[in-house]
Amino acid sequence: MLEYRHVSVSCQRTPILQDISISFPEGKITALIGPNGCGKTTLLQCLNGVSHVTKGNIYLKGKDYLKLSPKERARNLAFLPQVRTVIPSLPVKTLVEHGRFPYLGFARKKTQKDIALVQKAMESARVAQYADQYADTLSGGIRQRVFFAMVLAQDCDILVLDEPSTYLDLPGQREFLSMIGGLKSQGKTIILTLHNLNHALQISDYLAVMGDRKIAAFGTPKECLGQHVIEDIFDTSWKKFQDEEGVYYFFS
Amino acid sequence: MKKNRPFIILSLFILLLFSSCLGLFLGSVFLSPGEVIRALFSGNRDMAYTLVTTVRIPRVAGGLFAGMGLACAGVILQGVMNNSLASPNTIGVNSGSGFAVMLAMMLFPSLPRLVPAFAFSGALLTTLFIFLLAYLADSSRTTIILAGITVSSFFNAGINTIKLLDSELSINLTSFMAGSLSGLTVNKLVLPCLGILTAFVLSLFLAGSLNVLGLGEDIARSLGMRVALVRFILLALASLMAGCVVSYAGLLSFVGLIVPHICRQLFGNDARFLLPCCGLLGGSFVLLGDLLGRTLFSPYELPAGILLAFVGGPFFLYLLLKKKGGRRVNA
Repeated sequence: MLEYRHVSVSCQRTPILQDISISFPEGKITALIGPNGCGKTTLLQCLNGVSHVTKGNIYLKGKDYLKLSPKERARNLAFLPQVRTVIPSLPVKTLVEHGRFPYLGFARKKTQKDIALVQKAMESARVAQYADQYADTLSGGIRQRVFFAMVLAQDCDILVLDEPSTYLDLPGQREFLSMIGGLKSQGKTIILTLHNLNHALQISDYLAVMGDRKIAAFGTPKECLGQHVIEDIFDTSWKKFQDEEGVYYFFS
Repeated sequence: MKKNRPFIILSLFILLLFSSCLGLFLGSVFLSPGEVIRALFSGNRDMAYTLVTTVRIPRVAGGLFAGMGLACAGVILQGVMNNSLASPNTIGVNSGSGFAVMLAMMLFPSLPRLVPAFAFSGALLTTLFIFLLAYLADSSRTTIILAGITVSSFFNAGINTIKLLDSELSINLTSFMAGSLSGLTVNKLVLPCLGILTAFVLSLFLAGSLNVLGLGEDIARSLGMRVALVRFILLALASLMAGCVVSYAGLLSFVGLIVPHICRQLFGNDARFLLPCCGLLGGSFVLLGDLLGRTLFSPYELPAGILLAFVGGPFFLYLLLKKKGGRRVNA
């Protein structure tokens, strides 16, 4: 279980997050939603050290997460940052192998296990057929899957994904959502931000609705919809449709 | 590409070997290949022996390490700053180091052993200054290069001032500013070459980290890298290489910029492979430049740096234009 206790983040004395307390249930999918600039990314970036926690603590299975060494963190929690602007000219396989970085010693000798995990990660993210191609020659959607494979190769119990579905087209998004579901069934804890509210409502077990540097609501999608907090935060209204395949929400 | 790696390394190694041999066999004084070989192995202390051991071997060794050091420093600076225009020359590291060298010669003329230490310190201080500027001010890539040009001019002015103030300084300013391998002695070379070699070997161990840094700082952090520490070590290694080269060869420009680019265009961006390739190609590049410089207009001698600019420049432009739309440089 990953838990934030009274976490504040300031950047050059401007408060970005104030007194955030939230815990992410183990083995579940929690989606962070909220309008642009509400601090979703900052909240997540406390986990990879890009944002500095100025007050409060984060606990991972009872241990003080912020006191773990960077490599130890990266062996427990895999983080995929937002959209990549710099795509290195490296073969896909080499890129995915970077996911093993937290496990390698100074000599960077890859073990059989490392090689097997990289292969498995490429297969789960469906990029194995591009293994020898250069990442910068691939389309946006495939690149995103390559980075996703890199994060899978990290082989962590907790996956944190910041806007993972941005570059994906419709089939790509569907595929991605089913991949997330598959990971959950392997027992992984998944924390992600999503712009598409429908997706968030569909796949997540819990929603954390953020507005104005705070968590405005936390609960199952049903609870959150029931509290009408989504309408307030996003300044929108919604309608529910249902057919034999599932439930859809229409936001206007 | 991956399967060809041993082959590429072997070819580059043969090229380096070939350039070194040419450097040993050719020169302003004609020696037949037989004479050179006899000088190397027979132990006869004749004129050929003196020439080969005191002039040609130091010169070849100096050129080899200079090329290796500058090219690898270029790869590292480009990677750490995430800027394809960075190189010891463009960001002012060479000039900063050169200024420190002049300072050492002026202040401690009787202690030539201090020169490499000064050169390294000058390089490191300049590198850190530029890097902090880039990092803290979140400057754009162009800003960094502009800052580098400014820093270069500043230190070049310093170099010129020292030379004017201290007319007894035993240094040929033109050769020093262009970069030259003439007048090298074994004594002058030992320390810098050891420095370059050490930094080169250490940088090979950090090549994987350099690759991870290339993915962006956020990913590097997410993968558990101590980004600040790794960056500092890499910058220090690059400074060590550049400073050592400057301490004996002056401000050889160009090598640190174009050899990494040539290698990136030809062999991709994987630093684990790029660094050794650059080391080998950089060495050959400087050796061949120096060789042309001292044979083309013999008995006159052009500093190696000038030849490198003459030959390397057009070749680099050719590669840039030819590869347009091909594999991008990791910028």
